[in-house]
Amino acid sequence: MRILVVFCHPVPESFCAAVRDAAISGLEKAGHEIDLLDLYAEGFDPVMPADERRRYNEMKLADHPFPDHARRLKAAEGLIFVYPTWWYGLPAMLKGWLDRVWTGDLTFEIPDGPGSIRPLMTHVNLLGVITTCGAPRWWSYVVGHPGKRTILRGMRALCGKRCRRVFMAHYMMDKSTPQTRATYLAAVEKRLSKL
Amino acid sequence: MRILLVHAHPVASSFNASLFRMSLDRLTEAGHEVDVIDLYQDGFDPVMSEAERLTYHDTAINRQPVEDYVERLLAAQALVLVYPVWNYGYPAILKGWFDRVFLPGVSFGLVGGKVQPTLHNIEKILVVTSYGGSRFRSWLMGDPPRKIANRMLRATIKPGAPVTYLAHYAMNLSTPETRQAFMTRVERALDKI
Repeated sequence: MRILVVFCHPVPESFCAAVRDAAISGLEKAGHEIDLLDLYAEGFDPVMPADERRRYNEMKLADHPFPDHARRLKAAEGLIFVYPTWWYGLPAMLKGWLDRVWTGDLTFEIPDGPGSIRPLMTHVNLLGVITTCGAPRWWSYVVGHPGKRTILRGMRALCGKRCRRVFMAHYMMDKSTPQTRATYLAAVEKRLSKL
Repeated sequence: MRILLVHAHPVASSFNASLFRMSLDRLTEAGHEVDVIDLYQDGFDPVMSEAERLTYHDTAINRQPVEDYVERLLAAQALVLVYPVWNYGYPAILKGWFDRVFLPGVSFGLVGGKVQPTLHNIEKILVVTSYGGSRFRSWLMGDPPRKIANRMLRATIKPGAPVTYLAHYAMNLSTPETRQAFMTRVERALDKI
């Protein structure tokens, strides 16, 4: 499977970067072809400017503001997101990537009249979120895992009908130890090597 | 009341921006002291930098890059947020405002790895927002922005303080009547502050 791994963390030597490497190593063991998109390394600008917002509802693939990202998204059969959970959600940079890159005519079509939007990412049949959280597991459930839901429910609605979902989190990062982190890295690699 | 009014929409002619301008006028007329943060107007950069991430937990210096916003947040008695929901979440510019400004030592403390909310100067929150999706579809998706407001923000401010969440869903199918009806709901909520 062609898998686009979207990575978002400002610190190259962070634990999150190690999680990314474990994920990629697992996916490669399973024989997948990896395309890595590192948003901070690219200096991606997540702020949608006014003219883009004005064009948003009628956006055509030909006018896409990030043709390279659009092409890579279109080529993907699986998507794995690796990011730290900040304020229960996606880092602003990743949220802005969804807003600016997942446009109409690429990921969905808006019908002329009433009715739901039509998904166009039906070539994606694997969607994964691999993250780290400061909060404990129970409180993340109370708040409703907003970041996880944005991707695994919101964006999944634009993917294939039988799109498989994977979610993994290391909770309570501020209390983590070398052991809990090593266990998590091993679990990530193992789980993804079985996909 | 000292009210911090935060707005995040790039297009001045949008419905959302008109909600923002109406809120500002109405609150000012009611005699409140309104401090406006228009994130697009400010050209706010929502991206937390590597240096900021590395000093995130150092409460002596972590607020330096956003000190002005921190002071205004801590001086407020009420918070009014006017923004659109995009992809079941905040626009990046607003998400980044939370990421960069709601820091340890500002909105919460970390005691033994546990978060203790500290934004007790805020006695009231009003959220005014608009969704592309229907209420049902948003509910299916877990409505993350509603949960963030009603659970996370509620837990961060003064214990027991009210959080009001007003949303116009299905904007793509909205009519002048639905928008006017929503404006009226927002006006009433503003008058209650």
